[in-house]
Amino acid sequence: MAKTGMKRLEELEKDIYKCIHCKACRSAYSGEPDREGIGEFAGKQGTVLYEGIVDACPAGIEYGWEAFWNAGKMWIARSILNGDLEFNEEVRDVILPCITCGQCSAQCENKIRTVDIIEALRAACMESGVPMIDKHELVDNLVKERNNPYGGAAAERLKWAKDAGLEKFINNKDAKIAYYVGCTASYRQVEVAIATAKLFEQLGMDFTLVDDEVCCGSPFFRIGAVGTAQELMRKNLEAFKNVKMVYFSCAGCYRTFTIDYPKWMSEDEKLPFKTQHAFELVARLIQQEKIKFKPNKELKGKVVTYHDPCHTGRHFAVDMEQEMIEKSSNLMIESRKIRDAIEEWYEVPRIILRKLEEDVGIEFKEMYRIKLNSMCCGAGGGVRAGYPEFSIKTASLRCDEANAVGADILTTECPFCWRNLSDANEQYEHGMVVMGVLQMITEYNLLDILQNPNEKDFLLPSIRENMEEILKEKPKK
Amino acid sequence: MSYKLPDEKDLEAMIGIVGKEYATNNKAITASYLSKSVMGLESQIPDIVIRPKYVEEIRKILVYCTQEKIAVSPVSGGLSGGFACPTIKPGGVLLDLGRMKRIIEIDEENRFCIIEPGVTNGELWAYMHKYHPDWAPPIPDGAPPAATVMGDAIDRGFSLYTSSVGPQGDNFMCGEIVFPNGDVVRTGSWALPTAKPFYKYGLGPDMWSFLMGSQGSLGVITKAAVKIYPHPKFKTVVVWGMDNPYDMQNLTLEVAKQEFGISHHTVMVQGGNYPIVMARWPKDKIPHDYAFYKDIGISQWWMNWETWAQTQEELDYATNRIDKMAEDFKKRAKNPDAIIKQQLHPKQIASRMKKPNKIAIPYSFWEAGFLFITWYTPWPECAHFAEMYTKAMEKYGFPPVMWIASIERCRQAICMPIVCFDSRDPKNFEKVQELNRETTEYALKQGWLNYRPDPYIHVQAYYQAAMYWKYLRAFKKLVDPNMIMHPGRLALP
Repeated sequence: MAKTGMKRLEELEKDIYKCIHCKACRSAYSGEPDREGIGEFAGKQGTVLYEGIVDACPAGIEYGWEAFWNAGKMWIARSILNGDLEFNEEVRDVILPCITCGQCSAQCENKIRTVDIIEALRAACMESGVPMIDKHELVDNLVKERNNPYGGAAAERLKWAKDAGLEKFINNKDAKIAYYVGCTASYRQVEVAIATAKLFEQLGMDFTLVDDEVCCGSPFFRIGAVGTAQELMRKNLEAFKNVKMVYFSCAGCYRTFTIDYPKWMSEDEKLPFKTQHAFELVARLIQQEKIKFKPNKELKGKVVTYHDPCHTGRHFAVDMEQEMIEKSSNLMIESRKIRDAIEEWYEVPRIILRKLEEDVGIEFKEMYRIKLNSMCCGAGGGVRAGYPEFSIKTASLRCDEANAVGADILTTECPFCWRNLSDANEQYEHGMVVMGVLQMITEYNLLDILQNPNEKDFLLPSIRENMEEILKEKPKK
Repeated sequence: MSYKLPDEKDLEAMIGIVGKEYATNNKAITASYLSKSVMGLESQIPDIVIRPKYVEEIRKILVYCTQEKIAVSPVSGGLSGGFACPTIKPGGVLLDLGRMKRIIEIDEENRFCIIEPGVTNGELWAYMHKYHPDWAPPIPDGAPPAATVMGDAIDRGFSLYTSSVGPQGDNFMCGEIVFPNGDVVRTGSWALPTAKPFYKYGLGPDMWSFLMGSQGSLGVITKAAVKIYPHPKFKTVVVWGMDNPYDMQNLTLEVAKQEFGISHHTVMVQGGNYPIVMARWPKDKIPHDYAFYKDIGISQWWMNWETWAQTQEELDYATNRIDKMAEDFKKRAKNPDAIIKQQLHPKQIASRMKKPNKIAIPYSFWEAGFLFITWYTPWPECAHFAEMYTKAMEKYGFPPVMWIASIERCRQAICMPIVCFDSRDPKNFEKVQELNRETTEYALKQGWLNYRPDPYIHVQAYYQAAMYWKYLRAFKKLVDPNMIMHPGRLALP
């Protein structure tokens, strides 16, 4: 893959030219007009009819001009390539308020890689000399000084582990498995880090926390600061080079290591380790009947809903789809297998939630826009830093959707989603508890080990890695 | 005719009308409205984009632009899969009517709904599905969810039941239009302030029909009253395949002539050839040879009859009659052995009946871009058109994708060659233009009508219909004295 934004934009030219401006990319369930929903709900951000096709592009909903919806950005990209438009602050200010949630890509019948295009546009914009917005410049400087965009002291990155009595796992040199914590869990949502590490401990995993860990680079890949992002990437590849498997508790970090790093490494390089999210392990152990959950009086009867993080959900789904399209020899026959594989991917957190329902007594209720059609939390794409009001309003839109199903608890599996949803929950008084699923398991002491998992269980690869096999299988009926 | 290129003073005037938030000449925003695909390849970036919400705002904008001689292009939504009338030279103002999205009224007793131009297919479908489930939303068939009911109608698009009752425009009873001369006019019975919009011909000659097909070239339509029809629960799709377009044409006509009988049940009658299926996939990821499609049960040509009825008995009667007629037709067919009923899985039937849908979109997946070059023919000539055009497409190196649908029980055929090409290469644009010129010359001689003549084609059609064009132009001059409205595909002026 090309290593500059402009070159990458040129590589994506065919995708850009596929856009016919049909605007299907504006809405969730754009191909399901008769989808039964939950009716109209008057929330903090207005009234939404959750039936059939529903608008789901946060920037388009907020700003309204064609340029803020995806199709408008595709035609901006085309105008740049044609020389009809030059990069300037006007272009920057239109392409930056996009959370890069990928809703557009998921809806596109022509399979345009919209997120790649928008990120390449941003990188090319920066390369052309257009300055970063102040807030992005701030986080760029912070990460260069302190290895994280929050401004936390680099030396304090693993303070949470020491405080929680998990010091033995820091730089555990013999471990073949590492837990990459990420900046948000290290400096903000430490509950996620503690819950995940304690869960691993309870399962008997021999893992390491790496104190040379730095920011994964996700915010910088998204905003176009690809130079900064690649520097961080190199540091992390060096820090984790001696392990076989890296587990994540953050959707964004997981996506960045798994999808972004290979794209920005050189042709002959590949990731030296496998990657997986902690919830994939938990789901697998449930399916293997090695773990279950204990009943809990406090949680019994609580309505729990689940927010699919864009990075673990849609981004992986679209990436898997693109890879399978690339490998396919007859896409008409194989498209159904691709859809089945994506459906299986989305089931992973639901295996855990349904087990919690069965064992603990929660009531698991889905929101209207879920899985590939999930509405974004508003945090990603550099938007939480750059456009905080827009970001929180988007999170509040999502909280409205959780309120619409009567949720007591809104769960997710990304500390960044959790942060943004939690802030909106508070600011707009949505009245729920926001927490991570793994946090729920640890804090309520729900884990019941039926059969101790072993290292082999921990080293099993993610189901994502099965794509070639999936293409060879017969499609399910 | 010379036009003024809008300047900062004009932008200020627009801001004075709609507010700072809704008028802009920001270069990134104006560029985002560009579109060179689907219905036309000629498009340029507008100078100013405005997003009005109220009729009075539109009136003031048009009056100002008339005085200043600034060109205006109204856009309601997505216009059947792309901006069918995007801004062309001389640029000027683009009116994005997306904020005018009220579903004003649904009257089940008088059977109409009143909508604004920005109401999309998806929105109207969701709303009526929830609150008026016994009524079919009057949306276009085949246009994607973000296309608008209004835009499709004034572009002479389809409804869900066009094959039975006629084009979508026939379902529009009354409307409200703002003309560039500053007048706001309601048509039909709605011209009377105390009357409902219940009759197209109320008070005198039907002015609305003048606006059908106008594509925004005469003024800005700000409201429309559209008929609604009951949405029966008993629906299915019957498909018969054949190996040539003449058998497709002739069988379909025989069924269509069953008027006051089963052909009123066949709401959407459309078909085509196997490349319609092939060209929805990437060129290098799908077999091109017909043998593969034959193996999976797809005929070389076919016709779908989407059939609606109020009872199961009526539905069974209609579908059985179609089957019997098809069997009988074999005696007269060019190739009776190829006439086969296609057995559809229930999921395939459900997929074909899904509305609004995205069926028209993925032709860009073949390479990177496509164009519908659409024609009207009398139904008994659509096979001739299909044969001529598919040969021409192959001559120019395009896959011979042909879609054909019936309007008003095969009184007209809409014939839609879908020209799939790689739009990155300027040579392909030239090839498309060559194809278009060559086929237009032939088609006009047959008396066929180009749905949306491209600018380099206009003159071929209109110089032959000079008297008609003269009166169109005279009407346009009456309502748009300085000719500021987009000329549309009618080349006015």
